[in-house]
Amino acid sequence: MTRSLAITLNALGLYAIALVLLVAFGAQLILQELPCPLCLLQRIQFAMLAVGPILNIRFGPRPSHYAVSLLTAAAGAAFASRQVLLHIMPGDAGYGSALLGYHYYTWAFIGFVVAVVALAVMLLFDAQFKEGDKAQATGGFARAAVWLVLALTALNVISTLLECGFAACPDNPVTYELLKRAS
Amino acid sequence: MEFTILFLAVAVVMAAAWWGTRTFALALFAVTLLASIATYLHHASDVLKLSF
Repeated sequence: MTRSLAITLNALGLYAIALVLLVAFGAQLILQELPCPLCLLQRIQFAMLAVGPILNIRFGPRPSHYAVSLLTAAAGAAFASRQVLLHIMPGDAGYGSALLGYHYYTWAFIGFVVAVVALAVMLLFDAQFKEGDKAQATGGFARAAVWLVLALTALNVISTLLECGFAACPDNPVTYELLKRAS
Repeated sequence: MEFTILFLAVAVVMAAAWWGTRTFALALFAVTLLASIATYLHHASDVLKLSF
């Protein structure tokens, strides 16, 4: 795998992360389902997955950049598995609505496991690391991907501030705390 | 509030990875990952309202 192909795949990874963050926003805004604290923590881990690809695009692919995303995916899978286990008893309706038969935290667990596998597969290709530390000329496709995840993360800052306000986030949030205080 | 700060920290890590130095971005990443794990462990010790 060449360095430029690896960078293109990293940019595609950023678009995949952006899609996950957009779907989460869609559920929040269209279905009016506010994310619980554990759900927010999983969303944060999805956003953190983007740090590795951003470093790869900016400085060129390095194993340590993939390790950054691997550590994040492992933490995210642990957080998601806890939420899956909290609702595993038969008869438990789970938290929030289901998408294609699975709740969001189950999809999150699957997503983090897929990320671990994808990152391991990327690490198999040594040729991408052999071209030294040459300055990286980034194309518009990769730059747009970076800006997209940055913008979605910034929107999450605003959304979480509106949802939780300046206090601890409620376990089962139903209204935006900051908007409730303002009205 | 802690989740807002974590999201903000992630945005800062991304900005550091894109505009800053590699070492600074990696250091910020480590701090943010540890903070998110600490937040998880803090909430993991909450009393659970289980359905069984």
